[in-house]
Amino acid sequence: MASFNFLILLLIFSFCRSGNLQRLHEKIYSSIEGGAACFRRLNGTHQTGCSSADNGAVGVVHMIKDVTDAHWLMENATAGPYMAVVSTGLFYDVFDLLFKQPDLIAGILLYDNATKSAPQFSQDMSCPNDYSAAEGSSCSAGGVVWNPKGTGLLRRDIPFPIFYLPESRSQEIDKIDECYQRYNSDKNNQKGRPLCSVQLHSFMFAAVNTEVCLRRSASSALLTPTKVCDPLGDYNVYYSLFPRTKDIKNKKVTLVTARIDTASLFDGVSPGAASSVVGMVTLLTAATTLSKMIPIQDANLYDENILWTLFNGEAFDYIGSQRVAYDISKGTWPAAAPLTVDDINLHVEIGQIGGALTKLDLAWPLYAFIPYTNVVPEINEFVNTLGSNLQHNISINTEFSSHFPPSSLHSFRRILKNETESAALPEVLITDHNAEFSNFFYNSALDGFDKIDFEYRNITVDSSGTFISTDALLANGTMKEVDTQVKIARLATAVARTMYQRVAGKPYSGNITASAHLVDEILYCFLRSQACRLIMAADYASSGGAEEKPPERAAPLYVGVATWASTPPVFAAHLLALLTGTALSANRTQCDALDVPGFSQYWLRGWNHSGVCMQTTMNISAAISPAFIIEDYDLKSGVYSTWTESVWQAMWARVFVRASGAGAGAAAAAGAGATLLAALLTYWLQRHAAIIFSNAPQHSIVNDDAASGILRTVNC
Amino acid sequence: MDLARLPNDKKLQLCRWYFKVGCLLLPFVWAVNAIWFFKEAFMKPPYDEQKQIKKYVLMSAVGAIAWIAVFAIWITVFQLQRVSWGATGDALSFIVPLGRA
Repeated sequence: MASFNFLILLLIFSFCRSGNLQRLHEKIYSSIEGGAACFRRLNGTHQTGCSSADNGAVGVVHMIKDVTDAHWLMENATAGPYMAVVSTGLFYDVFDLLFKQPDLIAGILLYDNATKSAPQFSQDMSCPNDYSAAEGSSCSAGGVVWNPKGTGLLRRDIPFPIFYLPESRSQEIDKIDECYQRYNSDKNNQKGRPLCSVQLHSFMFAAVNTEVCLRRSASSALLTPTKVCDPLGDYNVYYSLFPRTKDIKNKKVTLVTARIDTASLFDGVSPGAASSVVGMVTLLTAATTLSKMIPIQDANLYDENILWTLFNGEAFDYIGSQRVAYDISKGTWPAAAPLTVDDINLHVEIGQIGGALTKLDLAWPLYAFIPYTNVVPEINEFVNTLGSNLQHNISINTEFSSHFPPSSLHSFRRILKNETESAALPEVLITDHNAEFSNFFYNSALDGFDKIDFEYRNITVDSSGTFISTDALLANGTMKEVDTQVKIARLATAVARTMYQRVAGKPYSGNITASAHLVDEILYCFLRSQACRLIMAADYASSGGAEEKPPERAAPLYVGVATWASTPPVFAAHLLALLTGTALSANRTQCDALDVPGFSQYWLRGWNHSGVCMQTTMNISAAISPAFIIEDYDLKSGVYSTWTESVWQAMWARVFVRASGAGAGAAAAAGAGATLLAALLTYWLQRHAAIIFSNAPQHSIVNDDAASGILRTVNC
Repeated sequence: MDLARLPNDKKLQLCRWYFKVGCLLLPFVWAVNAIWFFKEAFMKPPYDEQKQIKKYVLMSAVGAIAWIAVFAIWITVFQLQRVSWGATGDALSFIVPLGRA
């Protein structure tokens, strides 16, 4: 007997050794790394986006390699629910089918495949932000459908989780495909067999709508004070050519705006190259160029000022511009020297202008949307000036229409209705499309740097921060006229010159132009890597002197939640401070102590990373929807943006081989059988104890002897 | 405590005591009382105090059943209507469910 026990012990030990000390969990599951999950957002009336069940969604892997695979899944599959693994290139052909019967689908794993890249991909609405459109400019009510490629999934309550794997994670897809080929390839005999499966976990805390989730976040339940959602929001960035204080309020301004943010269905993947970055970079470059054309010391010579403003959160019912328009209507923006509507001579929005950028075409046709039926002299003059300043195959055409594309103009037209519609506050929008978007990747995960044909040139910047002029770059062959950087620099030059003419009242005669080198660097910072020259120079100098290198990937341009400041507006603000500000010869303590009206001072790292005191008129303001600051605002009224984002705890995905179920069934049956048998046996033994135990007491005799006598004395 | 070893007067005392405690909005005590003294009240051969015990057992049982009915109705109504009550429903919830209405 002892030798037998010893043998078992030896056997257990040998198993442990061969197991390589790996945990059982790791043997069963293989984690899928680098995926981005679709998450839940809520507005005043609905919930949108995805959520898995609390313990994740499990489905049998089905690689959809063409449309027939999707049809098989919906019509002939037997071992469901299934996890559909689809490439972005095939998504448009199959998503309608997959959404038709959500019971059959446990989730979707979407992957980007360079060899079969998608010709179009936009999850925003075909009429983006239509509920916040200006009166008479609703695209769904008979206007131009701006984004015909839009599937609208961004605004839909999706009944299962969706994960996205970028091209860089193709090895994960290979892993899943290998597992699929091995276990699931016999498609007609899947039932009752072990099958390759995927589990997606993206459980969302919030539900129903913003009103419900904010209420649940606020109520301090005794046991679980859980926050379930946060309002979307971040910061707007603004910078004026000349300082604005309360005393010199007579200076009228031209408001030039663009948007910072974009969106996508997936967490942390919102590159926004054509959707927003080109417009933002044009504005930053034009502002930089104008600040070189007109030195800030000459502020007293001019009557007009330029206010460059970057709005954030525009993808979600114009959060940033709604807030600015609302604050202007209340006379509280900008905080230091509030504008009145009369102070704004003209509002120019640089809208979505990246969609038509390609290195195959020299031409870059732009359109000025003028939402007035009668002639507005202020706008005419602006468009003519801009047109005369544009050269080199960039053209501008005018579109007179009360239907104009998604832009901050919609916010101004809703909130400052009287002034904007009567052209007391004239507005014009510049885009690169006159009808539907030329960008087929509007607000999507695939709107990357390649969509605007951006190739980084990586030209060094000297320690004084001088950029090589566009003409010099063209002359030495570093860049060509078709390059994105050159085109943006040309446009920025034209915008800067037009603004110069508005300020100075005469055409610009100098030779300062926007540098394609600068454009190259800014684009690289926003589209490729945060560890770029500009951001390294424009960052706060750390007190310890140690340089923290930012990550070598682009920051997502999604607006995010208001409780966390995201990096893009901070970058934009710092770039404006570095590029347009005045370097003071002050040390850090002096810099921090300075208090000049109309200015603020930032101690930045500088081009030689030794620290520099930049004096700038740049500032930031909250981009949080008025809905969240107005007391007792009716969230269902639809007047202002009410978007919130759900809280979640973890997002993960893993692949494993699921047992056929036969084993589990047998185990359950055996367990039930054993229990029943034991019960019967016990019952029989009790009844017939006398047969087995020769001196056992009879069943009927009550045990009533000395022991109970003792108990009786214990008084219970 | 083994009732079988208790004198009858003590049984009555105990049963009455349980009934009275149950009156302090403690239906579970009534339920215990009703079940515990059920045999004493209805199945044992008659004795002097049995009539009174029977009364207390019956009253406890009726009380407990009434409470159970009230609870059952409230729980059913609450579970079915919590979502449509909106803010009131959330305010009445001790643990608000995550990720659903």
